[in-house]
Amino acid sequence: MNRSSMVRFYGWFTLLGLLVGGLVVLGYYKDEYREWKDYQRQFVQEEVRRAATPQQKAVAESTPIEIRQILLPDLNRVDRCTTCHLGVEDPSYGGYPQPLAYHPLHEQHPFEKFGCTVCHRGQGRATTVADAHGDVAHWDQPMLPLQYIQASCGQCHEAAENPAAPELARGQQVFETSGCRGCHKLDGVGGNIGPELDKVGARRAPEWLKKHFLTPAAVTPGSAMPPQKLSETNLEAIVLFMLSQTGESAPGYYASMKVLPSVDQGQRLFQQKGCIGCHTVGGQGGKVGPVLDDVGLRRSPEWMMLHFRDPQSVTPGSVMPKFGFTDTEARALTEFLLHIRERNLASTLPSLMNSAERGRGVFRKYGCAGCHGPDGKGGVPNPNAKTAEQVPGLIYVADGYTKDELKKRIFNGQREITPLDPKRPPPPLYMPPWRSLINDAEVDDLTAYLFSLLPKGENTGF
Amino acid sequence: MGRSIFRVGLPQSNLERSQAMTSSFLLHIQPAKVHKHSLKAGYSLGLGLISLYLFFILIGTGVLLMFYYVPSTDRAYNTMKDLQFVVSAGLILRNMHRWAAHLMVLFVMLHLCRVFYTGAYKRPREFNWVIGVGLFLMTLGLSFTGYLLPWDQLAFWAITVGTSIAGYAPIIGPKVKYLLLGGNIVGQESLTRFYALHVIVLPTLTLMMVAVHLWRVRKDGGLSRPDESGDVVEQIPLGQLPTNKSYGLMELARGTTPQVGKNPEDEVFSWPHLVFREILLFLLVAAVVLFLAIFWNAPLEEYANPIHPPNPAKAPWYFLGLQEFVSYSAFWGGVVIPGLLVTALLLLPYLDRNRAGVGRWFARERMVANSIFTLCLLAAIVFTIIGTFFRGPNWGWVEPWRRPPAITEGH
Repeated sequence: MNRSSMVRFYGWFTLLGLLVGGLVVLGYYKDEYREWKDYQRQFVQEEVRRAATPQQKAVAESTPIEIRQILLPDLNRVDRCTTCHLGVEDPSYGGYPQPLAYHPLHEQHPFEKFGCTVCHRGQGRATTVADAHGDVAHWDQPMLPLQYIQASCGQCHEAAENPAAPELARGQQVFETSGCRGCHKLDGVGGNIGPELDKVGARRAPEWLKKHFLTPAAVTPGSAMPPQKLSETNLEAIVLFMLSQTGESAPGYYASMKVLPSVDQGQRLFQQKGCIGCHTVGGQGGKVGPVLDDVGLRRSPEWMMLHFRDPQSVTPGSVMPKFGFTDTEARALTEFLLHIRERNLASTLPSLMNSAERGRGVFRKYGCAGCHGPDGKGGVPNPNAKTAEQVPGLIYVADGYTKDELKKRIFNGQREITPLDPKRPPPPLYMPPWRSLINDAEVDDLTAYLFSLLPKGENTGF
Repeated sequence: MGRSIFRVGLPQSNLERSQAMTSSFLLHIQPAKVHKHSLKAGYSLGLGLISLYLFFILIGTGVLLMFYYVPSTDRAYNTMKDLQFVVSAGLILRNMHRWAAHLMVLFVMLHLCRVFYTGAYKRPREFNWVIGVGLFLMTLGLSFTGYLLPWDQLAFWAITVGTSIAGYAPIIGPKVKYLLLGGNIVGQESLTRFYALHVIVLPTLTLMMVAVHLWRVRKDGGLSRPDESGDVVEQIPLGQLPTNKSYGLMELARGTTPQVGKNPEDEVFSWPHLVFREILLFLLVAAVVLFLAIFWNAPLEEYANPIHPPNPAKAPWYFLGLQEFVSYSAFWGGVVIPGLLVTALLLLPYLDRNRAGVGRWFARERMVANSIFTLCLLAAIVFTIIGTFFRGPNWGWVEPWRRPPAITEGH
């Protein structure tokens, strides 16, 4: 073995050894340096600055620099947001700039139970600003802009009458009255011309939704959806409502907490539990129990709560059974009974309405107005349809159909719409078959309602 | 103390240099002396050794990743995120594993090309070539099974496409696909199967085949070289062993070990000439893998979503040539061509029996064989490049420099 080749070997060993060693050191530093550590040091500095006594200062200085996380196994989440947002639970950090700011109003949703991303979205597991806020490729849940934050309430809570989320309630109102369900299904109710909306809030961004409502064809080429005329407020509200439809279900503990004691909820319970079997409201119902129209004047809310828990405890000898209502349910029923007269709520109980009145609800529930116009007055454009390039109105159906023919028509739909000009593209809107989407009782009510639309005095009696 | 671990100290004499090789468990698979030609970097290019080192790096990083990874469709993706954001060195480990895996596929292919172009698969190395082709397929299998494990969109759809190519084979195709996936679509069963294959079955088989491959290299007379035929010693029939020699039985089983070769002046001691070069090469490979891992992150897309296929859904890059073929004809591209290619590779040393041109790159005597191989290779490269860069939505033609902005789902 000659010397010079040995020297060459050792030269290479040194060079490559240093290279590998240098890369290992570089890799180590890259791994050790994480931006969250800077934010934690910033927090520690602030704590030290605020310390009044040497003891407090010592405590502040010994704050460990470490990942903080909220484990939420039921929600399949790990939220590490508090690794940087260290002041969220400390009111004395109110008014501080991010990331140290205090998060107000979270008593109903304690951090240890809900974390952050359930409402704010973003990427809980991430520990860099860009990744955590979701502003990176391949993460489809960027943070929800604060103006739409009420959408998150709607993931769990019924939108209507949630006092904390008025924008959400307005959005739902716009959704139900614009007839969206005529073409789109939501929670299993609606037509099937357009796509289902159950997960639309997880799929689409606010900007996309806005554009889509104003000019559907601009973002979805070939869309049959008519452009929506919406005020700026209503547009924002319905975008917000769409964003709330993420298709996420609240499991276990969360499901048990999600019902809000609202008048609507109370009305639903009143209907479901069959209260009018024994009680009379709005002049109808059973005679076993007392009339309830004026119960709000006679009884206090506290009394009602006790009564729902155990009727005999406040009315000895009462024959009313213990229903085992939860506190939330009892409170919802109380709310309903307190307002039953002033808001004329009895008339909203389906079982107390006549068929045509219920049919009006069915017309709304399935979004018929989306194509046939509010109250069936027509006017929705359907380019190249023989019927004046519009979807026909419904107020004269009583003239053209018998009730059975009309039912058949609703059940079977009409896929082919006669075009005005066969050379142009066929009309985009058509009548879907509702057979599997609607039940017999609802169709009976719906036809009764449609027959009631005929203007008075015009029944020519075909 | 040192002596109790390393039985011979740092060698000072030629005797100790041979002892350094023969008395060390890790080194004894290599000969004490090695032909100068085998050390020429320009001949072997170190491709086989580089593949082996990449395999070692993959085993090392892979075992460490196993301490975190959970092969569950619910948790696999989350463990990727945890590796990236909270596990010490987790991201670098995953990057190293990913890049080393791609490099290994590449270098095994290059090694195969080197062996072909130098005619090194000829007698007596025919069977070692067959083992080598087996190792090539093992490498593809390892890479492919590993591809699914992150359980992101990339993984899910690459495996969906890859296994559907397998499903095109007649009669057994659908069965093989079902067996691999544990069902008709990629799901938890597929992940479990791919995981078991990736961490136990394939690495074990590969390791055993590597051992046989290396053992055969030595038993077949070291690396191929041009003047080999000159130093072949006639095989001595059993029963006629010369009694005055101290050779072991092993050295006499075949006639072409370097020790038996005629020209001792062409040979040098493995320590340090071979061993040092090997260590240097390892450092180089480690440096490249580290460099890639530090500066480029392994891809991780959205959580796998079986109802939202990307358009186009692409197989891993080494199968994109096949996918391109399949886009013309599922039967020809998915069955006939790959089937013929693998069969031809396996049978090659038994079909091409011409002994000329061994041990030289692009030997004139091998013009025909080299031309056919080059043609196939070029076709594979061109189709892979087309599949990788020139295919857009609906597998339509797209020029990469005029790629339309990606169609996003509203963000």
